[in-house]
Amino acid sequence: MAAMLDMAFQLLAFFILTFRPAPVEGQISLRMPPAQPVTPVQDAVQAGSDTSSTDPVQGLDSLVISVIPNDEGGIGSMAIGEGVVATLSGLNDRLKTILGDQASPFEQVVIQVGSGLRYDALMSVVDICTRQRLPDGQRLTKLSFVELPDAVAE
Amino acid sequence: MASTQYHEASAEPNLVPILDMVFQLITFFMLVINFKGAQIDMNLKLPVIGSARPVDTKGQQDLLVLNIDSEGALTVYGTPRDIDSYVASEAQASLLAARRNNPALESGDELPTTVVIRADRSTPFRLLNRVIQTCQKYGFRNFSLKAMNREEDGAT
Repeated sequence: MAAMLDMAFQLLAFFILTFRPAPVEGQISLRMPPAQPVTPVQDAVQAGSDTSSTDPVQGLDSLVISVIPNDEGGIGSMAIGEGVVATLSGLNDRLKTILGDQASPFEQVVIQVGSGLRYDALMSVVDICTRQRLPDGQRLTKLSFVELPDAVAE
Repeated sequence: MASTQYHEASAEPNLVPILDMVFQLITFFMLVINFKGAQIDMNLKLPVIGSARPVDTKGQQDLLVLNIDSEGALTVYGTPRDIDSYVASEAQASLLAARRNNPALESGDELPTTVVIRADRSTPFRLLNRVIQTCQKYGFRNFSLKAMNREEDGAT
């Protein structure tokens, strides 16, 4: 009996020492088709009219957000279209205004990102975007990333 | 002289209950051991996003987990792998699995697998974008970007 108990304790010690609970990780789910040229919807194919198309976002108008990194890889400056946005809360407010408009044609967001931007800075922008709701009440999940050349980002 | 007879009382403790308890503990640890943890690179420091929430897919979704370190290198089960060849092989496997439900699926069509990207918070976008573009090239469209919803204890 003692030998069996010995073995059981050995097994128990092994499991206790190797026990490492996985951290609870969150996630942001996105639908990311390859980036396409930004085309006004009146010049493009009507969404859903081409049933042979396998790309569901073709023909939808895109809202362009530009994020330029600073030297440390953090957010240096941001803009929605041509309008400069100073802070993340400002970005949130502007997106809420634009996407909340019932007449808004935007259904996806293209984020133009400077190549040196760190992942955590990018995620803070993505976080703001995925919190937005479209006029139909759906959450914004269609995002694309476009890498800005260094020359543009500087 | 009367001989005294000692009837030695048995002093052995009853080990059965303790053995029972130890086996219970072993069973507990065996059940909670996380085999999926092997595909997670615990050295990566994920970004912290308040709204990131764990999503339970109830095992119904095919997942392709990519661990990307700050140098843009891909690690699979602790082994560095070439991104392009690994994603290509996974795309092929996903395509074969998806064809069981949809035989008309062609190479390059949208795949049902979700790519789970676990990238270090300091990874520059150009390296991350290379991974995303590679996945898109092989037909992956659904992505899940991993983040912590609060700073880990002891993290700097």
